Amino acid sequence: MTKLLQWLLGVSLIGIAWGLVTFDLLDLQLPAVYKEVAWPMPVYLLVVFGCYSLATVGYRVATFNDCEEAAKELQAQIKEAKADLKKKGLKM
Amino acid sequence: MATGADQAVGLGLVGFSLLLFTYYTLWVIVLPFVDSDHVIHSYFLPREYSVILPGVAALILLLCVGTFIGVVTWKNRKPKKVD
Repeated sequence: MTKLLQWLLGVSLIGIAWGLVTFDLLDLQLPAVYKEVAWPMPVYLLVVFGCYSLATVGYRVATFNDCEEAAKELQAQIKEAKADLKKKGLKM
Repeated sequence: MATGADQAVGLGLVGFSLLLFTYYTLWVIVLPFVDSDHVIHSYFLPREYSVILPGVAALILLLCVGTFIGVVTWKNRKPKKVD
């Protein structure tokens, strides 16, 4: 079974379980609280995933490995190369 | 390590997402188990909004992304080449 089929199977099982609880298709007569918590679940999981992505991006921006001297050195080399090429006649 | 503005923006994003996660989790998962006359309910909108607001936000996001793509595509259109 391919990964796609496995994922689709997993998602549909979870979806069926959610549908059964939210729309009371089996007349299980669960306490009303379970219905209350279950029906926003898809949106909740999406929001949680969004929050996790945002936090990951923010964390990796804050801990990015800046190399300031290497950056300055590179910019100096670019300037030097531009001046050199201009001298040799290349139009920038 | 990133410095200055980068660090501030990054940590701001982390803080914001933690806040959002906590508020939304309380709203969706904790509140149904709390007695309806507890004072905490006054800090949260009715439960329908916990689905409507993210839905509206997603629509607005899609609109922004679509507009951005449209604007960039429009700006980059080139006249047909004449042989």
